[in-house]
Amino acid sequence: MARDLMFQQEIKETVQRAYAAITGGAGETVARRHYRDHELAEVPPGAVQWALGVGNPVRYARLQPGQTVLDVGSGGGIDTILAARRVGPEGRAIGLDVLEEMCERARRHAAQAGVEGWTEFRRGEMEDIPLPDASVDVAISNGVLNLSARKSRALAEIFRVLAPGGRICMADLTVEGDLPPEVANDQSAWAG
Amino acid sequence: MAERVFAGKLQRAGFADVWVGGQQPFGIDQAALYPLFTPEVIQVMRDTIPADHQAHVATGVIVKARRPQ
Repeated sequence: MARDLMFQQEIKETVQRAYAAITGGAGETVARRHYRDHELAEVPPGAVQWALGVGNPVRYARLQPGQTVLDVGSGGGIDTILAARRVGPEGRAIGLDVLEEMCERARRHAAQAGVEGWTEFRRGEMEDIPLPDASVDVAISNGVLNLSARKSRALAEIFRVLAPGGRICMADLTVEGDLPPEVANDQSAWAG
Repeated sequence: MAERVFAGKLQRAGFADVWVGGQQPFGIDQAALYPLFTPEVIQVMRDTIPADHQAHVATGVIVKARRPQ
């Protein structure tokens, strides 16, 4: 068996274990940093409480009615629901998340928002997106790519599912320079 | 991942018109609000990152790109 020299499997398992263990999101305080009042009014309180993102990709994504949008790492569904409202019932919003229980939670939030008719949540990994080639107009994500141990693979998968001319709009964190080794080597920091 | 590395990965994946903007500082106090950062790692960050950098340990960005036609 090939050795996992980049510890990709260990990082993946650590992140998934940490993600599965949380009992809530970052909450309304964080959501209010990234979303305006009218945006928060468009989603149910549960989706706000479960928000874990680091920005507001929907605001920058210039979504149009009728488009198909993929939310990579949809969590509790806040961005998928906002995207669903922008693309409308002629469009389609697809949330992708690695945890089935998070997909279930997001489905409940989408139903509470009244967008369940054109919104779906699928369990899957961003490095192996369960969608056909060229089937998405816009891909969004929010604080998720950094959690992947295989970022280039995840970006290649997003590229594959985007239609020619399709766009990606991501919010994420960048770090310039080196973090102290005590932080960089801490397993729980990988999940954050 | 540094901003230029992020942009480079997008370009190598085949994306065009890569744009990075909307930069916002992300500090330890903000990280502490996220449940994926455990109290232990937050404390390690407070103990090891210089005080004058603790309000800006990372940067929130928006990254946009396009798959060519």
